[in-house]
Amino acid sequence: MTRRLLLSLLALALGAAAAAAQTEVRIDVSGGGRRIPLHCEPLAAAGDRNPKLPSTLADEVLASDLDQSAVFVVTRAWRGEQPFDVQAIVSGRWTVKGTEVTLTGEVRDFPARRPILSKEYRAPLAGWRAIVHQFADDVVLQFTGEPGIAGTRIAFVVREGRDKELCVMDADGANPVALTADRSLALSPSWSPDGSLLLFTSYRGGGGPRVWVMQAAGGRPYLVSGRPGNNTSAAYSPDGREIALTLSADGNSEIYVLDARGGSPRRLTDNRAIDTSPSWSPTGREIAFTSDRGGTPQVYVMERDGGNVRRLTYDVNYTDSPAWSPRGDRIAFVARTGSGFDLYVCRADGGDARLVVGGGSNENPHWSPDGRHLVFASNRDGGFALYVTDLDNRAPRKLDTGGRPAMSPAWAPRLAGLVTAQVSTPNHSNSGGKP
Amino acid sequence: MKVVPRYLVAVLVVAVVGAFAAGCAKKAREAPPVPPPAPPVVQQDTTPTPVPPPTPPPVTPSESKVTSSDFQPAFFEFDSYALRDDARAALDGDAKLLREHAEVAITLEGHCDERGTVEYNQALGEKRAQAARDYLVAAGIGASRIQTISYGKERPFADGHDETAWAQNRRAHPVVR
Repeated sequence: MTRRLLLSLLALALGAAAAAAQTEVRIDVSGGGRRIPLHCEPLAAAGDRNPKLPSTLADEVLASDLDQSAVFVVTRAWRGEQPFDVQAIVSGRWTVKGTEVTLTGEVRDFPARRPILSKEYRAPLAGWRAIVHQFADDVVLQFTGEPGIAGTRIAFVVREGRDKELCVMDADGANPVALTADRSLALSPSWSPDGSLLLFTSYRGGGGPRVWVMQAAGGRPYLVSGRPGNNTSAAYSPDGREIALTLSADGNSEIYVLDARGGSPRRLTDNRAIDTSPSWSPTGREIAFTSDRGGTPQVYVMERDGGNVRRLTYDVNYTDSPAWSPRGDRIAFVARTGSGFDLYVCRADGGDARLVVGGGSNENPHWSPDGRHLVFASNRDGGFALYVTDLDNRAPRKLDTGGRPAMSPAWAPRLAGLVTAQVSTPNHSNSGGKP
Repeated sequence: MKVVPRYLVAVLVVAVVGAFAAGCAKKAREAPPVPPPAPPVVQQDTTPTPVPPPTPPPVTPSESKVTSSDFQPAFFEFDSYALRDDARAALDGDAKLLREHAEVAITLEGHCDERGTVEYNQALGEKRAQAARDYLVAAGIGASRIQTISYGKERPFADGHDETAWAQNRRAHPVVR
């Protein structure tokens, strides 16, 4: 008995120590197992050599895309003898002719070196990154049955003095574009399921927070909900036909569902507490949200008509910002610490809650469309910036937002990544794959 | 109620003017041609609350002798919108000021410290502004003279990351309209 008591006390102490030293605690929750070892050869630069666009740039982007897919671990150079654990070799030709660039990408298995993927991509010079991303995503597709996310984009807000403006960039931080210049507060962007529109909260035009929509390609925002009080944290349903959001027109923050044009409000919650931050399940049948009806903010789940409300987790005191994974099996959320938030992921039924990222304050997690990554805002290195975790034992990587404070990231669905026109012509079909 | 159409009109005007102004500003800077976006403005007003969103420029001291700095903010505990004794004392002073200057109308801004999330703090800030408003109304001030707006944690008064700064940033802040 005493021994068991001692053991459990020891376990408690260890748990406390782990909680105290939570700066770098990360647990693999992707469930994907080990990464596939891949060798990435330098691209052969045939044809004209363009000093403005050396193939080495494309090399870097390709290797980085594959490495950051969370599917592969990439080697760039043979070290002495050939590594026996490499499963495949990625190579390609990089040809710049006039104002056009062509990438012929190839994947061969190893050690047999039989071709398992060969594809040609063409783009205007300015769009060279897009075809490298597309090849990388096709390599991921070849090995997993699902394309990668290198060609996707991320919406976010940057702080400019006292204001926040809406921006969008490639998932690797390249090609940042400012979408608003309102000198106001833009917050909480959310993509339409087809990746063409962005919902966001803004104080633009004076008055309180209202929900606007604009084309992700840029343009003017349109008012979606400007009811009295707060109009915040809007999110399109997975079919794009409805918008869940927080309204306080009745005097208290409640979750409503509107039609996609902002009309026909349907109230889902009804109590004196704060209810906010709705996140749809990928089926659209359920909504996770935050409520302080139990005293402190906690993540709850309800059905899309507001029924069958249940609290998600019981072992964390203060939780917020639920984000339902695109595969539907997980919910990411944040839990409060002394000075900020830690990032957690649990099963959709609330079980198996695990710390994913601690240290500093880690806020507004949002899943990549393949469910292998979370993008979030954090001040772990000082000022707020965007980070991506692959949900494994790698340290979160910081996205380059030009040194400006960035927060509230929203990962676009896959289709939104095709910013640049590109022609993709398979050179020849797959020749069989592995035996 | 009579108020509904007025509110509707106000919001629509603001939306159209705002969108138009933004469109003009954008055109000058950004080249990409944009096809006409799908979702048009639809307004659905559920509550007949008389809130014209645009805040007019602050009243100049020459017109009214009372300025925003004459009012005292109400401060709050972490994750709370309950009025403390010092908050009630501050609001008593504000109520007195409002009684003496019947021409003055205010906006109560709700603010939060940085330790909550963006979205939750927007709701919490509104609760704080409403708590202060309800106290003033109970003290006899006409509800029509008090608007509320929540800034969540977006407009901190103190930039620090310690309790001193946080305590300063958890407030309902009166601003003369």
